[in-house]
Amino acid sequence: MTHELLNGLSPVEIEQVLKLGTRLIVPSGVSLFRLGDPADRLFLTERGRIKLTLPMQLRCREEDVFVEERSPGQTVGWSALIPPYRFTLAATATLFEAEVIALPREALLQYFAANPAAGYKIASNLAVVIGHRLQLFQTMWLREMQRTVEVRSA
Amino acid sequence: MDMLLMDLCFAVIGVVFVAFAFGAAMRSESWNSPAQPELPLVKAIAPARFFSNRQATTPVVPPVQVPIEVLLLQIENHVRLEQAAAESFLAFPSQALLHSKTTSPFVN
Repeated sequence: MTHELLNGLSPVEIEQVLKLGTRLIVPSGVSLFRLGDPADRLFLTERGRIKLTLPMQLRCREEDVFVEERSPGQTVGWSALIPPYRFTLAATATLFEAEVIALPREALLQYFAANPAAGYKIASNLAVVIGHRLQLFQTMWLREMQRTVEVRSA
Repeated sequence: MDMLLMDLCFAVIGVVFVAFAFGAAMRSESWNSPAQPELPLVKAIAPARFFSNRQATTPVVPPVQVPIEVLLLQIENHVRLEQAAAESFLAFPSQALLHSKTTSPFVN
């Protein structure tokens, strides 16, 4: 399994990072974290899929609406490395159980301090993940905005 | 010749008199109009309904509401299609791909 967050690291470095984490099985439909929870762990998806949702008012009820899905190899919960360290989405295993590696922030930061080269690579990979999310949602926002303007000016 | 001039003078005087009389009549009408009491608004006459006291109402068709689970799936489908469209734009940024249409029922 190749993890996007560990791209460019040597096999030894990958092993060192993975040793910092704990494997977790997330049964289908079970929450990995909720919106607003303290983000003290970052997750690497090993198996299954993790659905990211946000609450939305639908017919006077609050419902979790699909935002994004993360597949094996992808990173979930990068809020653990970004202040104010709170999850800004909710994460749940989809129809099938998922397996993730939970990497505690403190352990990661200590590892980065001791291994700056590996820390730099991981930080660069994290920037790619965050940047892609930003570009994706910026595009989606503009598309929605364009439609809103078209409806309003029709 | 004198008779002709006299007839012409009478004709001119007659035209002037009629013009004054018409002008006076129009003026008095326009002066009177603001002072006139406002007419009460006449309600629209409802259509006659014989042998019935019930109000005639147009039948209201309730909007078809899909179950919330279906709506959530539709939203999920819409988000997935929008993400795919956004991914296409990010791979090859262009004006056309930025505003490409999807098959989502939310935008069609």
